[in-house]
Amino acid sequence: MSNLSENIELFMGNPWGRGVVLSIAIVTVVMTLIAWTIWFERKFAGRMQNRVGPTFVGPFGLLQPLADVIKMLRKELIIPRGADPFLFLLAPPLTLFFTLAGLAVVPFGPSIVVADLELGVLWALAFSGLLLFPIWIAGWASNNKYALLGGMRAVAQGVSYEVPMLLTALVPVIQCSSFNITEIVNYQIANGWVIYWPPGPGIFAAAIFFVASLAEANRIPFDIPEAESELIAGVGVEYTGILYGLLPLSEYLHTLISSALVAALFLGGWDGPFAPGMHWMILKTLTLFVGILWIRWSLLRFRSDQLLRICWYWLVPISMLTVCAAALSKYLLASGGSL
Amino acid sequence: MSIAMPSPFVADPYLDIDDYDSDADLMVLNLGPQHPSTHGVFRIKLILDGEIIIKAISYPGYLHRGVEKLCEKLNYAMITPIVDKNDYISPMINEQAINMAFESLMGVEVPRRGRWIRTILAEMQRVASHLIALGTFAMDLGGAIGGGASLFMYMFRDRELILDCFEELTGCRFHYNTHIAGGQRHDLPEGWSEKVKTALAQITQHLEDCKQLVVENPIFADRTKGVGVITQQLALELGLQGPIARASGVDMDLRRDAPYHCYDEVKVNVVTESSGDTWARFMVRLREAQESIRIATEMVDGVPVGPIFAGKVVKTAIAIKIKEGQSYVAVESPRGELGTYLIAGGPKGISPYRLKIRPPSLHAISAIPYILPGNNVSDAIAILGSLDPVMGEVDR
Amino acid sequence: MTPKLYQQIAPLLTPTVDADGNALPITPEQVVNFGMMVPQNKHLALAQLLKEAGYSIYVTVVASHWEEQTVKGKSAPDPEHFEVATVVRHPGPGATTTFSWRVRLEVGESIDSLVSLYAGADWQEREQYDLVGVRFDNHPDLRRLMMPEDWPGHPLRRDYAIDTSHFPWR
Repeated sequence: MSNLSENIELFMGNPWGRGVVLSIAIVTVVMTLIAWTIWFERKFAGRMQNRVGPTFVGPFGLLQPLADVIKMLRKELIIPRGADPFLFLLAPPLTLFFTLAGLAVVPFGPSIVVADLELGVLWALAFSGLLLFPIWIAGWASNNKYALLGGMRAVAQGVSYEVPMLLTALVPVIQCSSFNITEIVNYQIANGWVIYWPPGPGIFAAAIFFVASLAEANRIPFDIPEAESELIAGVGVEYTGILYGLLPLSEYLHTLISSALVAALFLGGWDGPFAPGMHWMILKTLTLFVGILWIRWSLLRFRSDQLLRICWYWLVPISMLTVCAAALSKYLLASGGSL
Repeated sequence: MSIAMPSPFVADPYLDIDDYDSDADLMVLNLGPQHPSTHGVFRIKLILDGEIIIKAISYPGYLHRGVEKLCEKLNYAMITPIVDKNDYISPMINEQAINMAFESLMGVEVPRRGRWIRTILAEMQRVASHLIALGTFAMDLGGAIGGGASLFMYMFRDRELILDCFEELTGCRFHYNTHIAGGQRHDLPEGWSEKVKTALAQITQHLEDCKQLVVENPIFADRTKGVGVITQQLALELGLQGPIARASGVDMDLRRDAPYHCYDEVKVNVVTESSGDTWARFMVRLREAQESIRIATEMVDGVPVGPIFAGKVVKTAIAIKIKEGQSYVAVESPRGELGTYLIAGGPKGISPYRLKIRPPSLHAISAIPYILPGNNVSDAIAILGSLDPVMGEVDR
Repeated sequence: MTPKLYQQIAPLLTPTVDADGNALPITPEQVVNFGMMVPQNKHLALAQLLKEAGYSIYVTVVASHWEEQTVKGKSAPDPEHFEVATVVRHPGPGATTTFSWRVRLEVGESIDSLVSLYAGADWQEREQYDLVGVRFDNHPDLRRLMMPEDWPGHPLRRDYAIDTSHFPWR
């Protein structure tokens, strides 16, 4: 027996071993959580709209996501005539792949992270940027003009909103002098959350990062690439069954990961007034997620040119200012207040 | 003529488009009959340069059911339920338009109580129709899964209150068949006026909430102001009336200017705006709904006593006979002027010879080739939603 | 509707025919707002006159098909013909009124289109062409509106079958 426990310690001590175990665990937990966040969103939306949401399948409709997944798995996969079959089939699993890859660096607890990379922030933002490719591929490969319009809009929006996202992600990096997300959280635990210390750049940076990640995830009010009333599901219009299901699934996952990133980078991660730990991280992530749902079910959507105007005229200049302010305040703090 | 007509359809759409960048790669997109936002089966062929519309050609006729031909075969009493399904959003007003045409040729005058009830029903129906217009417009702007759907649900919940009142009166939530040539079939039940007043008071409150939720939202203002402008001249030239023309500054309302039913006994405040964009049309409908609530609340208390039907009760469908004559009668529907041109004289006088219905939505849709070019595809959806067409009456 | 307008309208109307077959022109006092017959060549002139007099809203046009029928008191039956009724509206201010007139067309005749005066006539006239088969001259784009482009026949004619064994649809 001691041989077994020694082997487990050896296994967990090895970063590769830890990585394998934690990735299986985190992916399983997160994917299950996503299914029930979809349930929660439908109940929440129902209550906001003066109705109840799903109630039939299971108590309180709790088995509804299961029913939806089973339904989707059983649907016929149709490849439209004229579509590029390889690209058509490649795009939805690729979105899921890139989103899950971004999950690898999000720390849920003091040592609960799949890969504690030195450039964690960069990894997360890179994969959220890479997500544009599968969406664009899907838009092209569907041989459908609505999908093409959706894909083009998604690329325009994604490329534009990456700029404020990257810039404002620099604020906690500058403040905490590290790209490693675990170190950023530890710095916040020691010195105060980025959102309020130093006062000024943090709150603006957090707000802009939040808005930009909403735009990256194509959530209302930025969901022009999949505007249902105009483009009837945008890039996903020709997809059937589980291939279609993967597209909103990866959108939800991206939203959840963005909330987790905001919580980790700006809100102190697993810090809390008492008993710091994984539960605080999950609480903050889910609170931000509920905020995103609330926004989705109350607001109308922007038109694509208005969306881009907001990004380039407002968000980019303000995020540049926040970066400068963060750098200035770091310098002031480091040099003890003298200029 | 004072306005330039858009050039007609030619088989090759590239041929007669005058000014576009010849390097541009034009794309033809069908906002096809199956689409969540075309307000019924309706096809618009858009010729796009990127996302800007260069030309829009519209094809109605997908919902053509041959109603006018059918009415030549049916007796006068049987026509009412068929005509209910024309403008299926406001059936009461359809019925009233038809039956007023029959009464004008029969020479009967509906008793005062019948006319009073007709006025109340018309106003309540106008409120219900505008609630749908506002709700579906928000849904077009914000998505059927998203913020627009929330407003849509609120508006439909309020409409259910009105439909409950109608159900108590006629037995049907929708497609009532409560009007007949000569008066009404159903008289007001006990306690109906209290029920109506409660319902309308709740709707007033919710329309105020709607204003706060949507109208003061900067996203809504950005999406609707300056979009899809119909100038006053275009509105007059195209024969548009109703909220669309009033939003462009045309101060005309058939209830005030050519009163029928009991509209000469109440004060109708006509709501106009001057900008003619989708914002103006939304605001005109919102305020008109509030105005109709005021009129209905005022009138439901003072219903005069008396008969609701002129003459003896109609026992058989062939009892209504009109030998000959022609007439044109117009009412103010929530979409504009709903007119009925009746040529009587079918076999034995029990059915019409020719019944033509003048649908206001037909003229609303004919404005599309004029106002869509130059806008985004997103704006096209918003404009189509703001025109509030009902394909049932366009195609009949 | 000023008296002056009635005077201008009167010469454009179809004269009535008395018992001897003499044509009696319509006097301005006999002009009413609804249902006067106008000869086909005066149709556009009347519409122009009304538009200049302020009847700026085009309401509708109604074409109807009349089959050959015997008329009481006349030896020759009334031949098959069409009747086109046009309605225009004066927007006010104050009271709004309509003016409507009818034009009788024999088989094969066509009527002037009012599209050059009122843009709203466009689709209404297309619909009447589609359903009844009356042609409108100088209409920029006279093609079918409701029925498919290649549909044979005009459904709202009296002799278009609905109760026969031949199904009119394909």
